[in-house]
Amino acid sequence: MPSMPVSPPVSVLLRTHALTLTYPNGTTALAGLDVEVPRGSVGLVGANGAGKTTLFRLMLGLLFPTSGGIEVVGRPVAVDPIGIRSRLGYMPEHDCLPNDQTAADFVATFGELAGLPPRAARQRASDVLDLVGLDESRFRPVGGFSTGMRQRAKLAQALVADPELLLLDEPTAGLDPVGREEMLELVGRLAGFGISVLFATHLLDDVQRVCDHVVMIDGGRLVLAGPIDQLVERTGVLRVEVGGRPDAADALAAALTGRGLATRALDHQTLDVDTAATGDEAFDVVRDLTADLGLRLYALSSRHRSLDELFLQEAARP
Amino acid sequence: MTITASTLGGAVYDRGYRPYDGPRGGRADARWALWRLTVRRALGLRRSWRQKVLPWSLLGLVTVPAMVDIGIRYATRDTPVYEVDFEFLTFREYLGVSTLLMLFVAVSAPDVVCPDRHDRVLPLIFSRQLTGLDYVLAKVGGIFTIVFGFAFLPQMLLFLGQMFVSDTGALDYIGDNADVLWQVPIAVALLALYQAAISVALASLTDRRIVAGIALIGLMMVTTSVSAVFVHVAEPDGTILALLNLWTVPLVLRDLVFLGHVERFGPLDGVEGAAIAAVMVYVAMVATSFAVLLWRYREVNL
Repeated sequence: MPSMPVSPPVSVLLRTHALTLTYPNGTTALAGLDVEVPRGSVGLVGANGAGKTTLFRLMLGLLFPTSGGIEVVGRPVAVDPIGIRSRLGYMPEHDCLPNDQTAADFVATFGELAGLPPRAARQRASDVLDLVGLDESRFRPVGGFSTGMRQRAKLAQALVADPELLLLDEPTAGLDPVGREEMLELVGRLAGFGISVLFATHLLDDVQRVCDHVVMIDGGRLVLAGPIDQLVERTGVLRVEVGGRPDAADALAAALTGRGLATRALDHQTLDVDTAATGDEAFDVVRDLTADLGLRLYALSSRHRSLDELFLQEAARP
Repeated sequence: MTITASTLGGAVYDRGYRPYDGPRGGRADARWALWRLTVRRALGLRRSWRQKVLPWSLLGLVTVPAMVDIGIRYATRDTPVYEVDFEFLTFREYLGVSTLLMLFVAVSAPDVVCPDRHDRVLPLIFSRQLTGLDYVLAKVGGIFTIVFGFAFLPQMLLFLGQMFVSDTGALDYIGDNADVLWQVPIAVALLALYQAAISVALASLTDRRIVAGIALIGLMMVTTSVSAVFVHVAEPDGTILALLNLWTVPLVLRDLVFLGHVERFGPLDGVEGAAIAAVMVYVAMVATSFAVLLWRYREVNL
């Protein structure tokens, strides 16, 4: 069996240029998507029907765009749509396990289908089942597995051929809180193994937990893309919680307004202070005025934007 | 690798993740792997004993006539029981025994195809370096291989057995039966391709094994019965409608390979253009089966 040439890893995982896909019935699944995604753990976020699975199908060369182009791990999919799959591992959202096979046979089978020699496939199957925590269940039929174990088995088959990029479609779907935590912990470890991950989900919390980059799509259009730590940077708003009297927030707001700071009371105890003009000096002003008014200061913190807020804000733009 | 020492002097090894840097095959290797897995599954290898019973008992069953033939020839090698040469079963007739393998494909073809759709494994298969054509070739090829093997092996046993017990000597036997050496493989291949293509195509239309198996047996029984009615009505003449019997179409081609014409005193005897029509029915059945298969596996939704 020939050894395929190993090319050096490219820095860009996914690059699309005006990527458009319109189905024969006229439904546009992706509309002029322009995105460039670096290596690492990347969240692909969008509501159901946003175009996430369609993007996966285009990446796997199972669909061809109506117009535009797509490159995966540095290779144009249109040039070698089948060969590109040798670099990818795919974990579907839906159940896809042959119930009468053992986990070891199932994973080894997909190792062989990925081009690994039979002996190597069985060895790799053993290794990855160990990695996902199914080492003691490897000789049990997968038909008897719990939902969490089935998700792990799916992840193991995606990993068995040591892919350069792993496509995970809703890997935490249907899992209980403990199973979800374990799956996220597992996905979070993959980047450390040199495997890039494209993690499709509609759960932004999951993305914020394990990804360092996010691509948000809605209705087939790009909403936002970028490194998560930059997107959720400080908002220029200070959130203050005070007490000591019933109208504490109102009293502090009036005093801050008198010092030239814009405020917005959220309830009788909580208010947001705009620090855009004054920067960190606002912390001192709030502290001093709280003391002067005889109020109790319960909390004082810079607000960071959440991915949920960002998504809703950007998706609402015309 | 992380090693954690325990108080008992042992160590716990966290092997972490080991990248794979061995050989990797391409699309042809993936197709070959799928063929191998199909054969393995159909033969019940790496499966429970219950999955092995049918294929291996059928292999035993279709081999019995050859063993009986050789046994009788061996026992009577010095004291012939007949004035003429004993012939329990000819190579041509043995193909008729092999059509019983249709019972095997009625079980094994659905077993290698239906679960992939029922358990939604197809999207995973097509996320590898495989296309619908590769899948069809591997599945039909797997069943073809087993049917070919199960039909060819007894014939080979029969040939070798007759050769060794021949009272004229092995070399003379080979010389006298040289035609069989090309006739048998061709006729067996035609039978195997026919049974494999039709059974896998029918199985691809449903995700339930039992439905696929019954559909195949039902198709064969219905066409056999309908054909028998027409043949009975036309007796003592032959009728082209005998070709409606889908079970025996490969046997007509077998006759063309072994005899060069349709069987004398058979249901097609005396029918003008029967040989051409038989070939056309055969080609149409196989081509339709492949067309159905390529249509069924043209696209798979993730």
